[in-house]
Formats: sequence, structure tokens, C-alpha cells
Amino acid sequence: MTQPISIRWIKKLLVFLVLLVASLLQAQPDEVSFSRDIRPILSGKCFKCHGPDRETREADFRLDRRESAIRADVIVPGEPDASWILDVVTSDDPDLRMPPKGEPLSTEEIAHLKAWIENGAEYEAHWSYQDPDAGKRPKVKNRRWTDSHLDYYVLNRMEEQNLEPAPKADPAVLLRRLYFDLIGLPPTLEEVAAFEKNPSERNFKRHVDRLLKSPRFGEKWASGWLDLARYADSNGYQHDDLRTMWPYRDWVVDALNADMPFDQFTIEQLAGDLLPEPTTSQLIATGFNRNVPVNFSGGTKVPEVRANVLHDRVATTGAVWLGLTLECAQCHDHKFDDISQKEYYELYAFFNKAIPEFEQQGEGMFRKHFTGRNVLVYPNDEDRQKGQELEHEIASVEEQIAALVKEGEQDSSLVVSEEVVLLDFEGLEPFEKHVATRPAITSVVEYVPEGGGAFAGKIVAEPVTETKSFFGTGFSFPARDLSDNSEISFWIYTDIASKFNLQVHSGRRQASVFGFSTMDLEPDTWIKVVAPLAEFTKPQWSTGAVDWDRINKVQITAHGSGPYAGKYIIMDQVVGVTSSQKALLEKRVADLRVQLAELQTATMVMQDSMEPSQAHIMMRGDYTAPGDPVETGVLASLHPLDPDLPRNRLGLAQWLVDEENPITPRVVVNRIWGEIFGRGIVNTPEDFGMQGELPSHPQLLDWLAIQFVKNDWSVKDLIKTIVLSSTYQQSSAVSAEKLSQDPQNIWLSRGPRFRLSAELIRDNLLSISGLLSVKMGGPGVYPPQPDGLWNQISTADVTRYPTSEGEDRYRRGLYTFLRRGNLNPMFLNFDGSERSVCSVNRDRSNTPVQALNLLNDPSYVEAAHALADWIDTLPGNDQSKAIAAFRTAVSRKPSEAEVETLLALYHKHESWFSVAQVILNLDETLTKS
Amino acid sequence: MNDFSKHIQRVKRREFLKQGTLGIGSLALSHLLSRELAAATSKPELKYHHTPKAKRVIFLHMVGGPSQMDTFDPKPELDKWAGKSLPPDITHGQKFAFITPDAGVIKSPYSFAPRGESGIVMSELFPHLATVADELTMIRSMKTNEVNHGSGEMFLHTGHGRFGRPTFGAWTSYGLGTENADLPSYVVLKDKPPNSGTAGWGCGFLPSKHQGVLFRTGAKPLFYLDNPEGVSAEQRGDVIDTIGQLNNHAYNHYQDPEIQTRIAQYELAYRMQTSVPELAQFKDEPEHVLDMYGLDHNGEGGDFAKNCLLARRLVERGVRFVQIFNKNWDHHANIYGSLPKQVESVDKTCAGLITDLKQRGLLDDTLIIWGGEFGRTPMIQEHNAGTGELTPPGRDHHKECFSIWMAGGGVKKGFTYGSTDEFGFGITENEVHVHDFHATCLHLLGIDHERLIHRHQGRDYRLTDVHGHVVHDIIA
Repeated sequence: MTQPISIRWIKKLLVFLVLLVASLLQAQPDEVSFSRDIRPILSGKCFKCHGPDRETREADFRLDRRESAIRADVIVPGEPDASWILDVVTSDDPDLRMPPKGEPLSTEEIAHLKAWIENGAEYEAHWSYQDPDAGKRPKVKNRRWTDSHLDYYVLNRMEEQNLEPAPKADPAVLLRRLYFDLIGLPPTLEEVAAFEKNPSERNFKRHVDRLLKSPRFGEKWASGWLDLARYADSNGYQHDDLRTMWPYRDWVVDALNADMPFDQFTIEQLAGDLLPEPTTSQLIATGFNRNVPVNFSGGTKVPEVRANVLHDRVATTGAVWLGLTLECAQCHDHKFDDISQKEYYELYAFFNKAIPEFEQQGEGMFRKHFTGRNVLVYPNDEDRQKGQELEHEIASVEEQIAALVKEGEQDSSLVVSEEVVLLDFEGLEPFEKHVATRPAITSVVEYVPEGGGAFAGKIVAEPVTETKSFFGTGFSFPARDLSDNSEISFWIYTDIASKFNLQVHSGRRQASVFGFSTMDLEPDTWIKVVAPLAEFTKPQWSTGAVDWDRINKVQITAHGSGPYAGKYIIMDQVVGVTSSQKALLEKRVADLRVQLAELQTATMVMQDSMEPSQAHIMMRGDYTAPGDPVETGVLASLHPLDPDLPRNRLGLAQWLVDEENPITPRVVVNRIWGEIFGRGIVNTPEDFGMQGELPSHPQLLDWLAIQFVKNDWSVKDLIKTIVLSSTYQQSSAVSAEKLSQDPQNIWLSRGPRFRLSAELIRDNLLSISGLLSVKMGGPGVYPPQPDGLWNQISTADVTRYPTSEGEDRYRRGLYTFLRRGNLNPMFLNFDGSERSVCSVNRDRSNTPVQALNLLNDPSYVEAAHALADWIDTLPGNDQSKAIAAFRTAVSRKPSEAEVETLLALYHKHESWFSVAQVILNLDETLTKS
Repeated sequence: MNDFSKHIQRVKRREFLKQGTLGIGSLALSHLLSRELAAATSKPELKYHHTPKAKRVIFLHMVGGPSQMDTFDPKPELDKWAGKSLPPDITHGQKFAFITPDAGVIKSPYSFAPRGESGIVMSELFPHLATVADELTMIRSMKTNEVNHGSGEMFLHTGHGRFGRPTFGAWTSYGLGTENADLPSYVVLKDKPPNSGTAGWGCGFLPSKHQGVLFRTGAKPLFYLDNPEGVSAEQRGDVIDTIGQLNNHAYNHYQDPEIQTRIAQYELAYRMQTSVPELAQFKDEPEHVLDMYGLDHNGEGGDFAKNCLLARRLVERGVRFVQIFNKNWDHHANIYGSLPKQVESVDKTCAGLITDLKQRGLLDDTLIIWGGEFGRTPMIQEHNAGTGELTPPGRDHHKECFSIWMAGGGVKKGFTYGSTDEFGFGITENEVHVHDFHATCLHLLGIDHERLIHRHQGRDYRLTDVHGHVVHDIIA
């Protein structure tokens, strides 16, 4: 690339014209295209040693820059014979021949190179760095087939390949496909039957609109995003402690259901905390970047854990929004894409602003724990309701306080609380005012628990002949200023391991008793006792209310009868606080807030530090080897960072969804396309860089990307556009000839057909059998799994799997608790992501263990029993029952032969259970057809 | 219906049942089915780059990191240094998990002597392994990058200290597939779980079929092998048949090859219900074989012994890679109380495994590897890392050098390679970094580590990343 793409629209127009010319030229089949023919050669065979990476660059020229290649005479435009590159790629001398390792260039590749140099050796920006350009609507022959604009792009390529579109799918099959794509659940028998009666495009569209509004939509589409967000319910690594991140998962479901525009979806997750006055929901969204696994095992170092977490955040941002493998530039300049190591750390610098998120426990190098920012959320509706009641009460008490403050302008006793020191051991004669209830020696000792003065009062009991009475050894001290609003506090240190009584006294035995015990606490240590007098329990002998006006002493005594000879009590800082009404109300508010906090659970969110942070290049990616300092910055090969944007994650997020960004909309629409068709238009959805595959339908991809941004980044609109196309609605049945011509269905001449994901297989089987719960959200649930799996996690504190009861056993797969250290086996068997790193693609394996899982796992055996019971209750004869059961699973009508096969099994074993097992295990049941 | 699916239907389930009871090794599948299965489960992604010396691997991972100075790398110098700190220039810039660099040295209490004709030196802790010393290549100069268990284990298996990369076993499966379509190519056995958890046998970005399949120790190595209560074998057979018939109808309509694969997988699942438990039982093993592994005549004994015998039964049946984890080698405290017991629990079994494979003619092309994810410090650890309490002496993690041994599979017999300094702290000669170890093991398997690659996120990945040299010196 000869100039940076700091494109304003005029430049865009120029680029557009150039591309238009290029695409017209491309129409001639013999013309060599740089993107299609030349760059793959240079990138695959040359860039590793003659590319962006300075460290490994040989002979001091780079082939990814035209001027560098020309300067070194490696390429002489228009003169293939003078171009050194052609000498070395064709050389027979193994010491000279390039590339030095691996396969030499093919004759065809050499011919392409030669033709390209002859034509002037022009470079083009990599396709994904260029602005999207949908071109004109392509010409097609079969105009009756094209329903949607996108069909033109598809049919045009199909016709080029001499392929015909498949017929439209059978209505039942099509409706089932739509249900799985939109809500991840099958339609009911009634819905299928009704659609079969009226399979019009209008009726189909009605279903589309209805399903897009279903809350099940967000549940279906969340899983793929949660793979990208590496969402899990535990930390990973050794210990694999549990964490509370489900509020983030629910946020994703809600945002998808609300069709939050993708640019906002991006900004809230990457930088919700940096928005002005963020809502709780916007904070929870930033859980996206707290989902990273952390290694809290003994010997890891806090800076090491932090560096690994921040690297993950950079890599994930690259994969999710840019389709670029940024992590390749962690240790050195990227070998293929124009990403320098410095640029990598400029991106790292955005994340380096985060406050410390982990801490080590104590000095011993042991376990770490989280210290970052949390927000509190309710785990369920019941607690939310209780919480709201508490919040109302808090508000009302706070109103009372405000009223008191106003009244207090007249009567200060309502609002002012007063401290009364009952015993002052700093004074000259501290024990003058004190009375021992039994013969005792009093003294002042140097023994101070915390702060305050330098002395404490000590009393040692003398031997007495008779200690049977309730009042054992103790202190009493005069107190005239106390009221029922008062609180007494003191420090005590004693070798009497007893219960103690605290009483307020009028000299007679009319008193209240507040009990506390040194047995509950540690003996021989200082204990602080705080006693609100209003909470004193009245002893049985006390008659009537305490007459606070007549209170004249406070007494503390050991309970029981001793003997206490030689035992001691040391007291210090005996303070009485006369509380005002306001203080009591404030205490009430504090109590309510504690209750409120107990109802809620804390989930992790992002926060940046107020302190400036300095990021450095890490030499060889090693956090202990800082190199040059770097500031925040973005990739120079993409659009510039608007100087008005803040230099933090918010600015980064806004840069990613800037309309100048050519890559992000393509990456997003490609992923959604891939989820529906089983294969992206770019078959490497994780890599839109030089090494990624080229799009099979570049203009289609660009058209979708442009529409997506134009439609305010609406994911629902995008999905709607796709499912309303003829392309989508084709039958997925294929002839042997077509299969051999296009086994992967790259040219989209048939509908998608592939195995459902782990979550959807679970949801589907539970739905067919009528067991599925539609309860949404909340903490992860624990459907039955084989015993002891959590015991198998090394050095874990939590080893018991708390199998759910009731409804929670039948929730959608999305809600199954995801423990990184030992995944749910069904999830694992069906290629569920371990969520240990951002993962863009899931496999769709086909194994015997999957068969065992669905045939013998008690959960799916239970589902088969439930289905069998349901079949039993159906009206009609065996044949109609078999048909209904079959259709519940696969929607379409069975053939006569299929019904006979099911009935043969039923008649042989006289059990619908066997039939139910068959139905739940059919290929068509487990597959979107 | 096309020709292929007709064949499928003719191969009746009951024939599979019969074949199943003969044992998995003797299972001769119908030609067509096995071809299809091979395509579905174990298609080799690549041919050998050169003639392999080893066809399969049994990797005995001693989780926690055995102490090299107390096992295979004698350091008499430590007697003189006992209690003193090492020279600071040696420990400078080194990472330790729990101790400080100035911690005092602790000597080994064990005597060492040359064993066998080859004279491989071992401590007195290994009387049984000593009897097969002449089969071993001892490497004293292993080196790794990681100093903690989880990351160290991942490094040993994937060449990378964090999540996301395929293990050595997964790469092997990816490169070579299995020789028995009825069993996974990569099986994992463990007494206790390693710290890295499932990542220790994960497939990273490789297709998920290359992930290690965890067999539990005992009669039921896999989950979900048993029919539900009340379901007879016949009933199950009929269910599988019916699924197959209906799937064939679907195939006739859709022509999707995945449907045929699924039919085959359900049939295979049915056979595995019999063959896998049978494989895990040692009823047909003679007493003298059981005894070699340290098991009693009922086949009972330690989990490690059972796992090693099961490993032999697996490789015998064509499993490509068996990974065994043996835990409790992390001797931070009381090393001289714990280490002898730990060695005793594996010593006889290791010797037995080598002898058994040799007697069966399998040792020559089976590579056995024994070792931990790192070594231990010459310095003492005297405090519990969490509580700070004083403990009986132990040793901390050490990444700069450690010892492993290999046997069979084309490595030299009775050979010692590499050396360390007088403290057992650093390598002085012939370093074998974990990347070199991987390169060498792949080489023995007939694979060029620079050519076994997988494109992921636009980058060609290898087990050895951008590193690794084959250590030709240890190859016979």
C-alpha cells in the first residue's frame, strides 16, 4: 500500500472507481489479480522472511511494500526478466532457490508472477482493508428465482459455476429450519400443520416477524457470542474457583432480544463503564472483558496473571471485531499482516489502564483473589422483589431522617448524638467512681487494645467464701446520662471463660441484661463489645419498664458462681453514646442496606484507574522484560482514531464501530451468515487478514455489510434479510452430481444442512419430549451429570456438583453451569466450546460417544420416557400416534415405509419407549435440514 | 437407494454383535463399513514424512515434577554446599514459585550407582527400573519455560504455557490417525487429575476428534456405556437397527454423507458397549503378567499399575497415543518422607510395562516416556507457601533442568544424554528443551515437526511453534 487509508469520501469515490475498473478487468478470466493470484503467493511463500516483521527480515527488503521490492530490484515493473524474484523462484540451485524451505512455486504461480510484473506489478490493499463495495446488482439468467437482492449475487456465482438452485424446501422442513435459526427450538405439530396449509411467502414472513420477537431468539443467538466472549462460570486453571458472571450472559440475551444496534452492543461491552453515568446494565456489559480465565495457582505472580489477562483482551478484540490475529504481534512484528509489535502494545495500552483486578493473599506466595470492580445484582425475581421492598423501606426511612434534620433546627436533641465517657482510666483516680461487686483488687495497667489512652483498668477477684449468687466478679460504674437511645461500648480482656452479663441498674433489682460471652470469642484476647441498650433483654425478675430516669449504674459481671479467685478482667475505653433519633434511623438504614446486600450477588465489571498508567513493549512478549514505553494507539493500516475521541477503551470501541472501519461490519455479517449456512462467505471467520481465505462472494459480503450499517447495525434486520431470500429457502437435498461438484456448498446451490450445536440438541430433545422449561436467566443450573466430575478438578475448593431439582433440571443448554475445569460431558461430546479462549468456530463432529450419550444418559432416557408417555396419551390408532411422534421431532410427514418401520419396532417390544428413543436419535432430529 | 446403503443394511447388527464378543482386536468389519468408518473417525491427515521408528506412544507424566537430584542426576557436590546459598550469579534473574533465590542447598540422602551393563546411574529408589536400565535413554538436560504446574503441564504437552493449543497426543492423532477404527486414537488415563485439567489432553484448534478420550480407571472406562434400566441388549439392537433404517430413508432424500457416518457411529457405539468394558477387564491376563505390573491375581492394585496394563492392552489394539497421569510428585515439603513412597508406587510397574512390551515384541515400535513437567530446586523449601508454617524439608519447582527417560520406539538403549552443573541447577551440555523433545518424539513417529502444521487464524501452527530441533544423538 502506497498511502495510508485515511479516507474521506472523495478518496472513497476514487477507490471505488479504481475497484470498478479492477472488477471489470477481473471479468476477463486471464487477467492476473493481485488479491486473488499474487498476494497468496507472496504472503504464503515470502512474507515470513521478507514481510512486516523487522526481526526476521532477510536481505533487508520487504515484499509486502511495493517500493521496497522495487528499490531492491526484486521486482522491476514491466520487466520480468530484470526482476530478481523470477530468477530465484525458478532457480535449480538449492542454495539460491526461494522459498528456501517447503514446496517451490508451481509453474502456474510463476506464470502469474511473470504476467503481473509485465503488467506493471501494481499492489492493491488487502481486500478486507478496502471499503465495502457491493457493485451493481449482478446479472442473472433465471430471474424468476431471485426474491431478494442478495439472491442476485448468489445466483450470479452459481450460474458461473454452471449450477442450478435447488427447489424450495418442503414447507414443514423450511418452517423447522426457520425455527432453529431464529429461536433454536422446533415448531409444534400444530404450527407445522397450519403452515403446510398456507405456505405462502406472506405467511412465512409472519412467522419470521413473530419469531424475531420471541424471547427465545436471544437465547438462541447468545451461545455463539458467548463463545467469542469466552464466558464461563469458573476461573479455569488450578483450583478453578467459581465466579459469578451469569448477569453478563443475561445481558447478552437481553441485548439480542432488544435488537440493540451492534455498534452500541460493542460500545457497552468494551466500555460501558466509561459512558457518562453508566447504568447497572451498561456496567454488567463490560463483564465481556472480565470473562478471561485467570491462573490463580500458588506460584504465579500477580503481574504475570495481569499480563496474560490483558493479552487475552487484545487478542479477543482483534478476533471478534477485526478478524485479525493481533496476538501474532505480541513477541515480534506480525509476519503477514501489517501489524507491528509497537502497534500491538499501543492497543494493549488501552487495556493497561484497568485498575488492579487481582491480589495475592498475604506475603506467602499463595492463592490470588479478585479485587476489581463489582456490581450487585439479584439472582432471581423473588429476591428482586424483596430487594425492591427493602429499597422502598430505605427510601422511607431516609425521608424520615430528612424530616428530622428539618425539625432538628428547633430541637437539636433529635439530631445530635452525644458521647459520654463512663470510665476514664487516664484520670487521677479512675476507680473512685467504680464499685466491685465482690472483694477485688483494682489497679491501672498499661494495656491498650487500640488507639485511645495508655492505660486500662484491671480487677482481680479476691478469694471469697461464698460465690453462689448470680452476681460474680465484675465492675459496676455510675451512669446517669444514658437513655433508651444509648449504646455502651467497651473493650474487655479476661481469663474468665464465661458468659457475661451487662446490666443497667437503678440500684434495685429492676434491670435489663445484655449477655455476651468470651466463650464465643477467643479467650485471652481483646474483645470489643457494643451493646445498644434498647436491645437489652429484660430479666424475668424485672417488673415493668426500665425507668431510664432512675438509672444510676452499669454493671458487668461474670455469669455463674465461680470461684473466680485470682481471675481478672481488664476493661478499657468504656464509653456510652447517647443516640439521637436520627442516629437510630441511620442505624436502621445501615441494617437494611446489609440485608439488601445479602440478597444480591456481585458480578465483575471493568473500571479504569484514575492514576496514569504507562504501557511498554514487552520484549519477546515477556512481562518481565519491558522495552520502549508506548501510548494508546490504533492500527495505522486502518482508519485513524478521531482526535476528539477519548484515549481509553471508549475511544477504542468507538473507533471499532466508526463508519470508516471497513472490516468490522464484514466480520460480523460473515459470522451471522456462517451460523445460518454452516459456512461463512469468508471461510476463515476468525481471520480476514492476508492469510485468511478470500470471500467466495465478495460483493454479497459487502452488500450485507453495507446494509447492516445502513440499517443501524440491526442484527434482527440482517437475519430477516437472509431468511427471506430464495437462497435460504432452498431444499438441502442434493444430487450425487451436485455433491461431487460442490461438496461444501460453497456456491449455495442448496439449503444448509448440518448437525445442531450441543445446546440446541439438548433444547430440541427436551422440547420434543415436553420437558423443556422456558424459565429465563439467572444463575447457571446443574442438570444431572455423572457423579464425581467436579472431584476431578485439581486442588479445587468446590468439588460437589449441586444437581438441580425441579424445573432447573430442564432448562435450555445455555443456562447449564459452565465449569472450565471439567465441562458437562454432553456439552463436551457435542463440540461445545471450553470457553478458555475466544473461539470463533465450533466443530461438528460425528462420533460413537455422541450416540452413547443420547441413548444412555439418564437425562435423555428420561426424555424418551416422557415422549413415550405422551405418545401413549395421544388419541387415535398406533399409526396416527407414530406419525404424530415422528412429526413432533422432524416436522415433515413420514413416508409409509417410515411409519411401518416405527410400528414394527413398537409391535415387537410393545413399548413406545423404544420408538421414542429412535425418534430422539434420528439424524434428522439432530440436524437442521 | 444407492449401492452403498444397500450394503450397510445387509451387514446386520447381529453380525456386529458376534464380532463384538470376539474382542475388539479381532473385529473384522465389513470392507465397506470400515472404509466409511475410517473416513469418519480416523482418516490420517498426512502420510509419514519418513520411515517411523515408533508407531505409538505411552507417555507417563509424573505430575508435580520429580526431583532430578534424588532420582537420576546425582549431585555429590551438594553435600558440601548443604545449608549454604548458591552463588548469586547462578540464581540471578531466575523465577521460583515459592522460595527465595538465597534459600540454602539441601543434599540428597540417597546413594547412586550404575545399573545394568550400560551403567545408567540411578538412585537406590529404583530397584526394579534398574533391572531394565539397558532399555532406557536417560536425558538429564531437559528444560522448560514454565515454573507452575498448570502452565508447566500445558507447556510439556502443547509447547505453550496457556490455554488454546493442541497437545502432543492430539497432534499425533491428527498426523497419524489410529490403527483401530473402533477405538479412539488418543486415550487418557489418570489416577488423579493434573492441574491443567482437560487442557492436558485437549485438541486446541485441531478438529475435536483428536482430543484425548478420558478412560476412567475401572470396569466402565467411558460414560453412558450401560443400557438404561430395563432395556435388553436385543431391544437396544432393534433400536439401533431402526435408527439406521430410518436414517437410510433420510439419506436417500438428502444424500448427505454425514448421515451415513451417523449410521456407522451408532453401530459402533453399540459394539463399544461390549468391547470397551471387555478391554478394561484383566480376566484374560495371566497371573505372571499381572504380577509384573504389581497387580494381584484379581487384577487389583494401584491405579497406576492398572493404567499401565490397560495402556498395553490399548496400544496392542492399535491406539496411537496413551497418556497416563500419575500425581503427587510435587514435593514442596517432606520430600524424603514422600518421594520414596511415590517412587515405590511406580517403580515395579514401569519395569513391568517395559518388560511386557518387550516380550510381546511391541517395545521396538512403542515409545515410552517417563517424566514430570519440570524438575526441583537444589535449594530447600522449609515453609508452607500458604500458611508460612515450618515444614519438613522439600524442594521447589525448577524449570532450568530436569531428567526424563524414554524407552523403546527407536531411542538408544542404555544411553545417558546431557549434563547439568554441579548443583543440578543449570544445563552444561546438550540441552533438550521441551520443543526439542517434541521435535524428537515426532521424528521417531515418522513426522517432520516442521511439516506437521495446521492453519488456524491465518497462521500455520506446529507443536513446536517456531522452535525445536530433533536430537539425533538419542536415536538408535
